[in-house]
Amino acid sequence: MVDQLPNRGLETEMLEEMGFSSIDDLFSDLPEHVRMSEPLPLPPPQSEEEIIADARRLLGANLAMGEAVSFLGAGIYRNYVPASVFQLITRGEFLTSYTPYQPEVSQGMLQAMWEFQTLISELVGLPIANLSLYDGSTAAAEALTCAVRVHTRKASQSNTVYISELVPPDRMSVMHNYCQGAGITLKVLKHNADGTLDIDSVQSAAGSCGVYVEQPNPLGILDGGLTQIKEIIGNNTALIVGVQPVSLGLVEAPGNYGADIVVGEGQPFGSPPTGGGPIYGIFACSKPYLRLMPGRIVGKSIDVDGKEAYCLTLSTREQHIRRHRATSNICTNETLIALMGAMHMSLLGPEGLEHLAYRNMAACVLAKQKLSELDGISLPHIALSHFNEFVIELPRSAADCLKYLDSVGIIGGFDLNRWYEGRNNWLLVSVTDQTKAAEIELLATHLAVWCSMKEVIA
Amino acid sequence: MSRLFDFAGGTGMGYSQPEPLLSKNKVALPPNLMRKALPRWPRLSEPEMVRHYTWLSRRNFGIDTGFYPLGSCTMKHNPRVNEVIAQLPGIADIHPHQPEHHLQGLLSIYHEMQHMLAICSGMDDVTLQPVAGAQGEFTAVRCVQEYFRKRGETQRTKVIVPDSAHGTNPASAAMAGYDIVEIPSLENGRIDLEALKAVVDDTVALMMITNPNTLGLFETDVPEASDIVHAAGGQMYYDGANFNAILGRTSPGLMGFDAVHFNLHKTFSQPHGGGGPGSGPIGVKSHLAEFLPSPVVKKRPIVGDEAKFAVDDMWYTWYEPEHTIGKVQQWHGNAGAIIRCWAYYRRYGYGLKDMSEHAVLNANYLRHALHREAEKAGVSHMFVDGAEAEVAKHEFTLSLQPAKEAVGVSAMDVAKGLLDVGYMAPTVYFPLVVPECMMFEPTETESRDTLDTFAKDFAQVLKVDAQTLHEAPITTPVRRVDEVYAARNLCLKHPFDEE
Repeated sequence: MVDQLPNRGLETEMLEEMGFSSIDDLFSDLPEHVRMSEPLPLPPPQSEEEIIADARRLLGANLAMGEAVSFLGAGIYRNYVPASVFQLITRGEFLTSYTPYQPEVSQGMLQAMWEFQTLISELVGLPIANLSLYDGSTAAAEALTCAVRVHTRKASQSNTVYISELVPPDRMSVMHNYCQGAGITLKVLKHNADGTLDIDSVQSAAGSCGVYVEQPNPLGILDGGLTQIKEIIGNNTALIVGVQPVSLGLVEAPGNYGADIVVGEGQPFGSPPTGGGPIYGIFACSKPYLRLMPGRIVGKSIDVDGKEAYCLTLSTREQHIRRHRATSNICTNETLIALMGAMHMSLLGPEGLEHLAYRNMAACVLAKQKLSELDGISLPHIALSHFNEFVIELPRSAADCLKYLDSVGIIGGFDLNRWYEGRNNWLLVSVTDQTKAAEIELLATHLAVWCSMKEVIA
Repeated sequence: MSRLFDFAGGTGMGYSQPEPLLSKNKVALPPNLMRKALPRWPRLSEPEMVRHYTWLSRRNFGIDTGFYPLGSCTMKHNPRVNEVIAQLPGIADIHPHQPEHHLQGLLSIYHEMQHMLAICSGMDDVTLQPVAGAQGEFTAVRCVQEYFRKRGETQRTKVIVPDSAHGTNPASAAMAGYDIVEIPSLENGRIDLEALKAVVDDTVALMMITNPNTLGLFETDVPEASDIVHAAGGQMYYDGANFNAILGRTSPGLMGFDAVHFNLHKTFSQPHGGGGPGSGPIGVKSHLAEFLPSPVVKKRPIVGDEAKFAVDDMWYTWYEPEHTIGKVQQWHGNAGAIIRCWAYYRRYGYGLKDMSEHAVLNANYLRHALHREAEKAGVSHMFVDGAEAEVAKHEFTLSLQPAKEAVGVSAMDVAKGLLDVGYMAPTVYFPLVVPECMMFEPTETESRDTLDTFAKDFAQVLKVDAQTLHEAPITTPVRRVDEVYAARNLCLKHPFDEE
């Protein structure tokens, strides 16, 4: 461990210079009865070589998706992050800096985040973006509380928001935790049997503080009906849309069909799946929400010489100044991952983004086509357009099917019974730009084998 | 200047992609969902992109650039092996929804981290789900809230925080729906037990305390404060922002706390990344464990053919606590950060105590050296200790009030003067209880030479005339930035429309 402690061996000299005789003197202010008397019951220190060997052994026991054939998505997606992103992100000036409280020596990260704000703003079609929240779920939850702060005074349904019933329970749970303290009621928007939003149920949300829907929705459906919502709910109810950002290379930006706030999992841009974190949540909004929104924002300014310069702005919304009246408790966010996102987006450019979205959709179309040809399998939403994923209905339980596919090296998708009670036979199959035609063939082949089996395995 | 949105004219993409699996005319969208105009993103080739971000990085200061004594933020060296480990496919390329037998390595590391944090903090159970310190606070407050709801003690609507607390404490408690009662601290920033007694009753759910406090002083009265709050049926929360000062010497458990959060990015060295990611696990005593967010990792004996996936003689499994508050982040926390912090912990093992001891040694030495060098340079009249104390813990404060009164030099002026000589400035104007406050946290990873040199340079900055310091910095990429201008002339994105 000496490699991490430059003053190892100098303790006595340093203590003597201060007039102390031992390290214990520096802890003399700890009351006797709270002192730890025994050494920590932990294993001995390891060298770098031993640590990396253990890491390789333990992490090597995990099944990386790239070592298998994976159709698992459901919110986190396989992607490709260009090599230069990983190379640049290790630059210590980015990696080892902190929140830019001293803007004069933090212009690099400040400008990069201001550029990130612009990239996100352009992507979603709204004028304002912050420099990330923790993930898509916390971004969605903070969007709800933000909508209530903005609208509740004039709302006929005060402190009430409406949420698509398809939103996965884990995401709902985060929303509940963030909203319960403010006394916000979460009501449900219904979906039709074909998976699209029941537009009539949106009528009931008029007069509330906000409506939360997703595009594509959690079943992968691109729902044209969402473009009608704003007209129904009007200006005094926020339209909040959760997006898969890559889809916006082909799908209309929600800001252009009336969204007031757009949130989403930024992960497909810049971040590998990483077990679900660290990733970053996107948060963008229109002007009426600016002063009550959560998170950090960078503004372009000038220095004393009139030179272009950047700094954090509108900080009076934040906890370090506003304390218990802050718009959010967030302090540390996901800046470095957002920076990776900015780098990835920069490399794509507009046409690269469109191409990437095409690759995702083409893989989806191909997979739908192949799987719909199988006997015993049906696609309940086959007539609709999908992005990244779609439901297949199986003759027996999805759990059993996943076990079989796992036994032949395929991560087959997500068992929707975990989200929606009674959907035992629904499997959510995810395909992305990383999915290969041969992998789709392999899935189809093995699904056919499983369908033909009489007995339930395992 | 290199500006991203100046790269607008090219036609290329910064990286080549394979062709789609089907031709583009096979891909159909509802007509009203077709995107009409692509985002006005820049168009850069890879060399241009690499040079742009390299240029930006050179206008940024990190620990790797130089000494970064930013108090309360624990800017210690980030061991690079941790970065290498975090890029291994067994962490980078795994999905949180994969079944347990695909993730035994990850789960075993989670279990090891839960166990280690419980031992170090004197708590019974740990969750790694919260992804930042503030989220850890919020999570713990929610657990306490559900604990009291289950007991029917719904009259407990208040959370007590000292006025020297981090802003996240009151913000987190308010987010959970609590009323905040702020109590003044004593002159040296310590808890005022009389003020505490005056507000404690059966409407109090929780008291939140940072120890060492935000002035870097150990709160010797914490056990007594715990007794006072517990006697009235309330709970005690330990803000672990300064846990790196006491690890292995005492623990929140020994001090009487019921719940604690850890800033893994501080104590366990996840790189701060310009403002994140972090990781904010919480530990709780057993009576709060059934409320922890779901899932946590437990272990049990191996059953059947699990052995072929196991990493040792136990099976690691996700477990949902009985009365869980649910989720605070949709996935399993910041797994990548937890892996880095695991690697950091492995470097120390039972020697984590050495890390804390050296953090405290360095802080006390720096305080000593600053006074010593100021004396030598004849500027010792320019500042005083922010709080009287024989020993500091991992950080300490100075008050530049004397300089302000004598020559009109503020803490901010000195901070900007330090930027000019190649240092990151200490934290300024926090905590608010110290006038013209500068807060220094050198961390254990700075050498004595660095501390001595910094102390000399600090004294030299204090010798600089007031006018020059008002104008500092002059050597940085930009000079003092006009924050009022930024707020009054909001420019939050590239102004395409004005071109």
